[in-house]
This record gives sequence, structure tokens and C-alpha cells, in this order.
Amino acid sequence: MGELLRVMGNRRSIRYFEPDKPVEREKIQIMLEAMNRSSRAVNADFVKTVVVFRDELDPDVLEQLKTPTTTAEVDMAPVHMFCYLDLTYTDGAQGRLKELVQLGALNPSHGWSEAYVDEVVWATVLKPISADPGILSYIGAIDAGVAINQGMLAAVDQGLGVCLHAFNTEVAKKALDIPDHWLPLHLLLVGYPAEDPLTGGQRPRRPLSTQCFVGNAHTPWEEIPEVTERLKQEGLIQDPVDAEKRRAEVRALAQRFGLPE
Amino acid sequence: MAAADIRNEPAVVRWFESAHLDELTPEEQTHRLALVADFCDHFGRPPGEVAAHALRTTKDGDTAISAKKRIALNDSIDEFVEKSGYTGKEAVINGNIIRSFLVHNGIFIQGRAWRG
Repeated sequence: MGELLRVMGNRRSIRYFEPDKPVEREKIQIMLEAMNRSSRAVNADFVKTVVVFRDELDPDVLEQLKTPTTTAEVDMAPVHMFCYLDLTYTDGAQGRLKELVQLGALNPSHGWSEAYVDEVVWATVLKPISADPGILSYIGAIDAGVAINQGMLAAVDQGLGVCLHAFNTEVAKKALDIPDHWLPLHLLLVGYPAEDPLTGGQRPRRPLSTQCFVGNAHTPWEEIPEVTERLKQEGLIQDPVDAEKRRAEVRALAQRFGLPE
Repeated sequence: MAAADIRNEPAVVRWFESAHLDELTPEEQTHRLALVADFCDHFGRPPGEVAAHALRTTKDGDTAISAKKRIALNDSIDEFVEKSGYTGKEAVINGNIIRSFLVHNGIFIQGRAWRG
């Protein structure tokens, strides 16, 4: 018990990677499979991921990916996972839903039947989603985010560092031959941390009472002190960053890699 | 311009304070100042204008970065470093010292990381 909590507690956005320590393909597959096992509406494959092993990339393409806002990241992270939302995710949804009905994942207890899937679900659910680009991307982005997060936690569990980034979508689209119906989401950088994997402590978070409510939208959740204490012991809640120590580490890293201080 | 000429320029003062460069040795501070001063000569503008070069004002009056000007500035840094005869790690470090000056003046910009 508790390992998952510790992995979640240990996750940080890692921005300094060991540039020449390769990431095992096995570990990347573990991440991809963790993403593949995520919760998803209509059992769709929302995320399309292009894994780029930086040092196997054509040098010309690699140069194209280096822009004034990405160069240091490209240089340091040995694996770049470009994550897209496949906007055709409603295609085949009826077949997948029917399969879930047949497997008992969707069941009559909750109103599901083959008849509903065959005769009603397209007009009631899938067509309205498909017809509205805003809803299509909004729903898809939520489920894609769930999948990406699962991959990130699997990476941390494997001793890797990860960080989500924005990326130059036009350059990547051309360089990686991305189809038009893939909506750019995130660039997930992966590698072994060159920095302290715990980055000197956890980043600030606001108390649950400021963002979680009970019964209505204005009664704050009251933390149970014993649970908070247990979560500290099990590693989900960790000591905060010591800013002075962290500044010294960042300076040392910047000097090692010749980066701006 | 020389290193001493730019030390009290507001953009340079801001850089030193934000990056805690006063903690460096006097030699290291002078090296950084000289690099930025030389780059300003190369770019043909004083420090404050170099930093402001990549910024633009939107129609709503907000400050934003001009992607095109940032690319031009980035290319100019690489050109300056090459023209100055720096190679290898020295080229990466010195180019990024100039980028550090820009970064601490609000320009989001990245240069190469040394992997040697």
C-alpha cells in the first residue's frame, strides 16, 4: 500500500535532463502502455503519441525542432513524446460501446443495452459531440490529459523525469508528418534527471479548502489532520522546496550545461 | 561600449539583481558585462533597447514578445559569438550569457545546452 501515493508525491516537472543517458525503450513502452490503460470515454484512443528518440532523429529535422524557445530542451531531453488529440475519436465509437456492453462493462443496471448503442447513441451523444469542434476538442482534451498523466506517473515509477511543454506545432507537424486531424496537445520530455529528482522539495500547493468543497460550491472541504499526517508519511505530501538550496543547484546546473543563470 | 559603461543601465541593473550576479567574482562580473557591451555594439543598440527589441505592444496595450524579432535576436547572438571567435563550450556559455541578460529582462529565449 502507498507506493502509488509516493510516486505521485515524487513527480516533479524536470527541466534538466542527463542529455547523454539514453532512456531504455522498455521504459518508454511502459509509459505508453500506462497511457493506453487510462480511463476513456467511449473507449476511444484519444491520444496519438509520436515518440522521438532525439539522437536517432535526422539531424536536419532535429535542427528544425530547435527554436529560440525550445533549443535547450531539445539538447537536454533524450526522448520527446509529441502528444496529439485524434479528433476522429468518435469514429467507431458505436462498435466499441457495443463491445463494452457485451463485456458487461456497460450494463443494463445503468441503462446501457445493445439497442441503445445501435439505435440511439449516435444521434443523442456522438453526433452532437462530433458536430461541434469546441465540444469535440474539450471532451477529448480531458481524456487525453488523463492518459498523459498516467504515462507521466509510470515514468516517475521507472526512475525517469518528465515535463510537459508547449511546442512549435507547425515545425513539428511538418517534421513529423502529423495528419491534419491530430490536434497538438503537449510535448512530454523524458529523460533521467540531471537535477535532484525531487528538485529540493515539493512545489507550493494551496490548501484543499481553497479548491475543494462539500455539499455545495461554497462550503470548504475540511482536512482530516490524521489523513494529512498519513499522506506525509506515505510521501504524497513532502517538504517544500528550500529556495536557497535550490538556487545553488540551479546555478550549478546552468554552469554545467553552459545555460543562462 | 565598455563593461563599465553599461553597469548602471537599468536593464543591466535589473539583470544583475534578478540573476544575483553580484555573488560572482569581480572577474566573472566584468566578463559578463563586457560580453553584453560588445553584443550591444554588434547589434547597434544600447542594452535597454536590445532587451526591448524583441518586445511589442499589442492592440490592447499589453506587452508581448515578437516571435520574428526574437528569432532575429537569437540569430544575431549566434553570429556575434561566431564572429568573436568562440568555439565549443565557450561559444555555448558566452551566447547564453547574453541570453541570460535578455531572459532577466523578460524575453523568453533558449540557447543550446553544452553536452560535451
